[in-house]
Amino acid sequence: MASPTRLDAVSNQRALDQFLRGVERRALRMAELGCGSRDDALDLVQDAMCGFVRHYAEKPQADWAPLFYRVLDSRLNDYRRRRTVRSRWLAVFDRPDTEDGDMDPIAQAPDLQEPGPLMRLAGGEAGQALEGALKALPLRQRQAFLLRLWEGFDVATTAQVMHCSEGSVKTHLSRALAALRRSLKDHQ
Amino acid sequence: MNAPDPNEFDKSGWIAQARDLLDQSADGLDAATLSRLNRARQAALATRARRSHFWMLPAGLAGTCALLLAAAVWMPRHGVSGAIRADTPATSQATDSTDAGDALASDDSPEFYQDLDFYAWLDAQRKDGAG
Repeated sequence: MASPTRLDAVSNQRALDQFLRGVERRALRMAELGCGSRDDALDLVQDAMCGFVRHYAEKPQADWAPLFYRVLDSRLNDYRRRRTVRSRWLAVFDRPDTEDGDMDPIAQAPDLQEPGPLMRLAGGEAGQALEGALKALPLRQRQAFLLRLWEGFDVATTAQVMHCSEGSVKTHLSRALAALRRSLKDHQ
Repeated sequence: MNAPDPNEFDKSGWIAQARDLLDQSADGLDAATLSRLNRARQAALATRARRSHFWMLPAGLAGTCALLLAAAVWMPRHGVSGAIRADTPATSQATDSTDAGDALASDDSPEFYQDLDFYAWLDAQRKDGAG
């Protein structure tokens, strides 16, 4: 007969499998939007899964989602740093990463009463437009948008995942919404 | 800076539509990608299984050392009998050292052991004389 400890381990392993199965597709899309390559995204997701299992599998299940996305966010940041260093060495520059530098937040704030740019685009076209607009966002803004509005984390959890303050999350998100609205308008 | 109220995101139609589009893109992944995701998940879970058996390595090493030590203590006293004595020179040396240990432990005088060959010869001579 199996011991209680052994049964706990088996049930925990099953819960981990269920959890990873539940987040893997969205994690892949998030990574793909971040790095632009499906192969690299798959590597990043596998790396994040291994890191999560190694370090956080024993944590309470309620904390798994933010912890997993924290690991993935960290891997995405590492990927971006490596790519920046590589591009410097090769003297091939990617698009300029404006991050949070020189935008006026008040001017960029979205008008939430407006119907919205995606409304006027048809299904497939809207998907492509959204993907292009998300890829064009700086990493932190895109992560704030995806974690907060797609994954549905609250501001505090998003800040914990992104390793920054709640104020930064709000700023990143506000700028992301403004930039998305602007670039989606260009598709019309 | 005042960030938009989260409740307003739900009312804002284009964000809900963006969310739907992202959901569709995640649900519509091709079979090859899903298979690779499955392998990635299994690999991650396997790292945990390997990790949970890590304690076995030091435990196994400690057990092996204890067994070797027990064998080293037990063999010289009980294991090496006269049957093995003539096997190899190395074995003979080992048994000679066992004899020396016996001689030290017994009450006989050291001279007796030094003259052991002479006594053996004398015994043989007596047997020949009797025969």
